[in-house]
Amino acid sequence: MNWAGTTGTIAGNAIAAMTPLIFAALGGLFTELTGMLNIALEGLILIGAFFGIVAASMTQSLFAGLVAGSLAAAVLAWAYGSATIRLKANIFVTGLAANIFASGLTVVLSRQWFGTKSVVAFKIPELARPFAGLLGSIPFFGPALFSHTVLVYLSWFFVIAAAVIIRRTPLGMKIRATGANAEAVAASGFRPDAYRLIAIVLSGFFCGMAGVSLSLPLAAYVPNMSAGRGWIALVAIYLGAKSPGKIALACFIFALAESYSNYAQGLFRIPAEFILMIPYAATLIALVAGSLAKRAGKAKG
Amino acid sequence: MSKASRGRGGVLLFTIAAALASACLLLYLFSDSFADSLFLFFVAPLTNRYYLGNLVSSMVPLIVAGMGVAFAFESRNFNLGGEGQIYGGALVATLVALNLPEGSTFVVQLLSCSAAAAAGGLIGGLSGTLKRRLGVDELISSFLISSLAVLLVDFLVTGPFQDPASNFQTTRAIAASAAFPKIFPPSSLSTGLIIGLLASLAGKAVMDRTRFGFELRLCGANREFARYAGIDSGIYTLLPMALSGALHGLAGALMVFGSYYKVMRGFSSGIGWSAIAVSLIARNNPLALIPAAAFYAYLDSGSKSVMLGSDVSSEIVAIVQAVIFLLITATALPFAERLKMAGLTRVSSIGGKR
Repeated sequence: MNWAGTTGTIAGNAIAAMTPLIFAALGGLFTELTGMLNIALEGLILIGAFFGIVAASMTQSLFAGLVAGSLAAAVLAWAYGSATIRLKANIFVTGLAANIFASGLTVVLSRQWFGTKSVVAFKIPELARPFAGLLGSIPFFGPALFSHTVLVYLSWFFVIAAAVIIRRTPLGMKIRATGANAEAVAASGFRPDAYRLIAIVLSGFFCGMAGVSLSLPLAAYVPNMSAGRGWIALVAIYLGAKSPGKIALACFIFALAESYSNYAQGLFRIPAEFILMIPYAATLIALVAGSLAKRAGKAKG
Repeated sequence: MSKASRGRGGVLLFTIAAALASACLLLYLFSDSFADSLFLFFVAPLTNRYYLGNLVSSMVPLIVAGMGVAFAFESRNFNLGGEGQIYGGALVATLVALNLPEGSTFVVQLLSCSAAAAAGGLIGGLSGTLKRRLGVDELISSFLISSLAVLLVDFLVTGPFQDPASNFQTTRAIAASAAFPKIFPPSSLSTGLIIGLLASLAGKAVMDRTRFGFELRLCGANREFARYAGIDSGIYTLLPMALSGALHGLAGALMVFGSYYKVMRGFSSGIGWSAIAVSLIARNNPLALIPAAAFYAYLDSGSKSVMLGSDVSSEIVAIVQAVIFLLITATALPFAERLKMAGLTRVSSIGGKR
C-alpha cells in the first residue's frame, strides 16, 4: 500500500470517527461552562444511539431518527438535571444514575423489541454524502475530507454554532456567567439554576446527536456502543480549554488514535482487548499530560 | 430523633419506595404475567435454601466493596474504578492460589487475599497519586484506569490464563480444598460471610475510633480546615483511594474463594457499581452496609429469579439501581428537610478548583 493512500485512509476514518466525539464534547461544554462536571455524557450518547436508529428504522426517515435520538437523550438529561438541580442531589451520583439507566434500558428494550441483547441490524435509508461527487474526486484531500456523510458536516456546523451561541448570545453569556459567578447572575435577577438545567438539557440534545452519528452510519445498534466516548469527550473539553474550535481539534487527535488503532489491528493481529484499550489509554495520557503542562505553566508564571 | 436524621430517613424511605415501585412498574410493562413476575421477583428468592443462601452470599462482596466506596466518599474522593479493582483482585487471588504449593489452606487464602488487596490498592492508589501530585481528577482517572484493567483482565482470562480444558472463557479453578467451607448447602454461602461481617465491624471501628478515621473524615468535611489543623491532607487523597482499591480487590478475592473458585470473563458484572449504591444507601456507615447490602442483594436475586422464570431481562435491576442513584443523595425532596450530605455536595468542573 502506498504511503499517501494509507495516510489518507487513516485521516479520513479519523474525520468520521471524530463526529460523535465532537457532538458529545459540545454537549459537555455547556454543562462545563456552568461549572458542572457532567459524567452522564456516556449514557446520553447510548440513549441517542438506540432511539435514533429505532426511530429511523420505524419511519424510514433519517431526519426523524436524528430528532428522536436527540430528544430521547434530552429527556433523560432533563430527568437527571432535575434531580441534580431541583432535588439538590449529588451530580456525580445522578450522573451514574443516567449512565446505568441508559445501559439498562437499552438492553431491556432491545430484548423486548428485538429479542436479543446483542447487535441489532436495521434497514434504513442510506445517509447522504453531500460533497462526495465533485469535491470527492480531488486526489488525496477529496476522499479524506469530502467523502463523508452529512452528519460529519453537521457536526462542523455545530462547532461554529456552539461558538456563536456561547460567545455572542444572551443565553451563552448567562451560561458562562453562571459558571463564573452564580451569585452575580442571581443578583442581576436571573436564576442560575435555570441556566444549569438548560445546559444539562442541551448536553443531552448534543449527546443524542453523538449517539445518532454512531448508530446511523452503521445501520445497527451495538450494546454499549458509546464505548467510553463520553469520557473521552470530557477530556477533550479539558484539553480544548473550553473553546469549541480547540475542543474539535482535541477530538480529532483522539479520533486519529482510534482510527490508527483500527488500521493497526488489521496489520499486526493485536488482540481486540488492546485495541479497545487505546481510547481509554490515550484519554488517560492526555489527562495526565494536560495536568503536567498546566503545572509547568504555573511554575513558570 | 434530630431534624437532620429525620430528613435522611425521609430521603432513604422515599428512595426505597421509589425503587420498589419502579421494579413493579417494569415488571408490569415487560412481563407477560404481572402476578407471576411479582411473585418471582419479590417472594421466590426467599422461598428455598438455594436462593436464600445465594442471596446472603452475594452480600459479602457488596459489604466489602461498599466499604471501599465509603472510605473514599468519607474523605471526599470518588472511586469510580470498582469494577476493574474487583476483577483485577479476583484474577490475582486466583493466580496466587493456583500457583502456591498445596499446604496450609489458611496460608493460601491469606496470601491470595493479601495479593488481591495489594493489586486493588495499587490500581486505586494510582488515581490517588495522580490527584495528589498532579491534580488529575480522581473520578475520571479511576474510571479510565479501571476500564483499562477490565480489558487487560479480559485479555488474560481469555488468553494466557485461559483454562485449556474448558470451552468457556475462564481461568482454571482453584483446588476445592482451598475454597471457603460451605455453611448452607446447596447454596454457595460460605464462611466468607463471617469475613464480610467482621470487615464491617472493623471498618466501623477504624472510621470512628482511630486517628486515621478521624483525620480522613475531617479532610472529607473540610480539607482547608484539616490543613490548618496540621493534617497532611494530600495523604488523605492517596490513602483513602488506595484503601478503597484494596477493599475492592479483597471483595474480588472473597468472590473467588466463596462462590466462583475461578475468574471468568465479565466476572465482576456491575458489582463495583452496585457497591456504590450500597454505600450511598448506608450513608457511608460501615455497619449500615449490612442491611443496605441485604436490600440490594434482594433486588438483584429477584431480578435473576424473574429472568429465569419469565421472559424479562435481568437488566431491569439496572434501571431500579438508576432510580436509587437518582434519588438517594437528594437533599431537597419536597417533604424531607434539607440536608447537606457531608462529603457528597461537591459540585465542580474538570479543571476547576476543588
